Amino acid sequence: MADETPEVGAPDAPEEAAAEAETPVAEAEAPEAAVEAEPKPAEPAPEPEPELDPEIEARFARFEAGLGDGVIDHAESHGTLVVRVRPDAWKRAAEVARADLDCDYLSFIAGMDWMPAPKTPGDEGTDTSAPVQPDTMTFGVTGSKGRFQVFAHAQSTTKHWGITLKTDVDEAAPAVDSWVSVYPGADWHERECWEMYGIDFTGHPKIRPLYLPAEFEGNPLRKDFALIAREVKPWPGLVDVEPMPGDDTPEDEGAA
Amino acid sequence: MTTTETPGFEVDPALHRTLENARVNVELDNGDMILNLGPQHPATHGTLRLVVRLDGERVVAADPVIGYMHRGYEKLSEFRTYPQITTLINRIDWLSSFANEVPFVSGAEQLMGVEAPPRAQWIRTILTELSRIATIYLFLGEMGLQVGALTPAFWGFRDRELVLNLIEGATGGRFHPNFNRIGGLKDDLPWGWISECRATMDKILKGCDDFEDVLVGNEIFEARTRGIGIIPGELGAAYGVSGANLRASGVDWDLRRDGKPYLAYPEIDFKVWTHPDGDSFARYWVRLQETREAVRMVIQLLDGLPAGSIMAKVPRIIKVPEGEVWVEVENPLGQMGYYIVSKGATGPFRVKIRSASFSNVSILPWLLRGVYVPDVITIMGSLYFILGDIDR
Amino acid sequence: MGLVEKGVFGKKPLKPVTWLLNYSRKYSLWMFQWGLACCAIEMGAALASPRYDMMRLGVIPFPASPRQADLVVISGTVTDKMAPAIRRLYEQMPDPKYVISMGSCANCGGPYWDSYSVTKGVDQIIPVDIYVPGCPPRPEALLEAIVMLQERIQHEGIGNDELAARWRGEYVPVETDRTPVQA
Repeated sequence: MADETPEVGAPDAPEEAAAEAETPVAEAEAPEAAVEAEPKPAEPAPEPEPELDPEIEARFARFEAGLGDGVIDHAESHGTLVVRVRPDAWKRAAEVARADLDCDYLSFIAGMDWMPAPKTPGDEGTDTSAPVQPDTMTFGVTGSKGRFQVFAHAQSTTKHWGITLKTDVDEAAPAVDSWVSVYPGADWHERECWEMYGIDFTGHPKIRPLYLPAEFEGNPLRKDFALIAREVKPWPGLVDVEPMPGDDTPEDEGAA
Repeated sequence: MTTTETPGFEVDPALHRTLENARVNVELDNGDMILNLGPQHPATHGTLRLVVRLDGERVVAADPVIGYMHRGYEKLSEFRTYPQITTLINRIDWLSSFANEVPFVSGAEQLMGVEAPPRAQWIRTILTELSRIATIYLFLGEMGLQVGALTPAFWGFRDRELVLNLIEGATGGRFHPNFNRIGGLKDDLPWGWISECRATMDKILKGCDDFEDVLVGNEIFEARTRGIGIIPGELGAAYGVSGANLRASGVDWDLRRDGKPYLAYPEIDFKVWTHPDGDSFARYWVRLQETREAVRMVIQLLDGLPAGSIMAKVPRIIKVPEGEVWVEVENPLGQMGYYIVSKGATGPFRVKIRSASFSNVSILPWLLRGVYVPDVITIMGSLYFILGDIDR
Repeated sequence: MGLVEKGVFGKKPLKPVTWLLNYSRKYSLWMFQWGLACCAIEMGAALASPRYDMMRLGVIPFPASPRQADLVVISGTVTDKMAPAIRRLYEQMPDPKYVISMGSCANCGGPYWDSYSVTKGVDQIIPVDIYVPGCPPRPEALLEAIVMLQERIQHEGIGNDELAARWRGEYVPVETDRTPVQA
């Protein structure tokens, strides 16, 4: 799959994207009218992956024709087209998806934290109920540059297809462009993402907490947010430390 | 009011802050009145809170305050194994619990490369449609309650019990069946269930006729719902409104027919109902027809139920290989989807739950602008949301 | 039977007025229903569906305000965002007031025991008289809880001791047929 290709997650992704974008942009101009038809077999995909479904490949070609060098990587994951775009092209990706792919329906926008949940030192093996996840940081389909990503899914109600878009978010100053001007329904999704991951959306009309009370601290869906109820404390070993009623009056018990 | 083009609630932050901490129900501000409905209000169907700014009898702006039922499913899913999560996600949309399980389990099956045997798929389809009936039936009754008709609400509760009996008979659980296993189902249908199901379906059809007789064509009902709360199809889609709410706006899109093929839907014949108006009445009408369609589908499924096993071969300890999958299904309330990211452990690394009501309700600030106060209730009733499905 | 021999006429002196007052109180319970989650639907089924029909037990649902309610049923998940509102409406209820906690979530957090936003049991904010286990409990279980509460009310003492203590918000153990007070 995509994560076996050497480019995935490479730090010099923008250069590659610029380099690989030259060929498809030049070729994708021509078949703009015939996008419904089969893809041209001669058209070289940026990364030739033979297992991609031709329909999905055509859909991607159509998307890439609109977005150009904003595309970093693409893959098919269980019948879904996943495209990773550059952060500065995030809003343009939505516009292209809406205009060129007829994706008029916004399904969701969500955040992603690829960091493995840290184990707290000292309680090794105490919380055995949670599944053990791998310790190394891997980045799933189409890769990622860092810890945080934002991904979204848009669909077409007429063409009956969809596209999952991903973009990397800087860990130090997490922010991407808002989609509200493209899809008004992005409003609540972005508020949720801001609240859960602390990822800011520039251009959002008014970002504020959605679910949690205003005094809540932290971003719960970040992997380093610990669930306090799961913090296991050792049992002190004493059953009843306070005196039981009747302990200080033994003569009553004797009388009874 | 400052602007009108941006969605959302346009009061200044200081005032909004006051509202958030409001200790009184009514505040006066610059001639406009702020009315706080909820969080616990009989007309808000649970714990949705709605802050509306009124100019006389007309709503100037509305802001739903959600999160009173936020239980953190996405975080909890990262701490559970796959079989444990089906228990949890039953409770997202608590009226159609079985339909919540199906997409998650099928997502895990897709990642594992397992396919449930045909009989399991058909029984899943039957139970999904039964839970669709149980969900929508309550709506059909409660929508009467919104306009002051008490009788349909009692009918809704009465006949819904029949469907719940069927679900309980098959799964053992009246509300939260937790009947799906990765690779199939827990049990086969009990003896005699099919004939009982047929009899109940007749009663449900008759109940639909009763609802139609009482409400559709009723002058009061039509006056309160026709032309009220119109959602344009294009805007609804951009907001992510799905399901019957979108089909009532003329968008002919149903994931059972148009999405990736799942369960036994490709093999049965059904019609996707749409209505061009997009108002509250259209939403009621489309759901009424969908209930009848669901009955038709159940009968077809019972007729063609294949024999065979109900469980595929799966390992004893479920470990899902690395990968990402997006599954979406047409739930009673709309599009329900899971984006499951697995890293090869016994539990998922990340589960994004896309629930229908969340997006359906997010259109409320736009939709309620300019309507009269009594219509707020009918519009919210006609959108038909479940609080757990909004807040997750 | 048990009522005449043990509860009222046995251990305590005969108090016909107490008996009559409690008898009237237990069959005119104004119930304020606080439907929060899945359990709310089961509570609705217990109230509205003809099969269960809670009103035949002398419970009057749908009061206009918590200020005229005797009983509140907390049915469903209590979140930290919701908890202040519950506390506030509980304080508005007139004494003596009773609380039924319905469902695992309201009892202890239920399946969300480790969630970051769920209050682990409504008894952390208000005192609870009866816990109904289940996820969600069947409507019959809620009816059983109502019957238990009525037994409790019947056996409560009034006058200047027990009811007054109850009005002050203190815990008053009440001996009924099925829940004898520990000696």
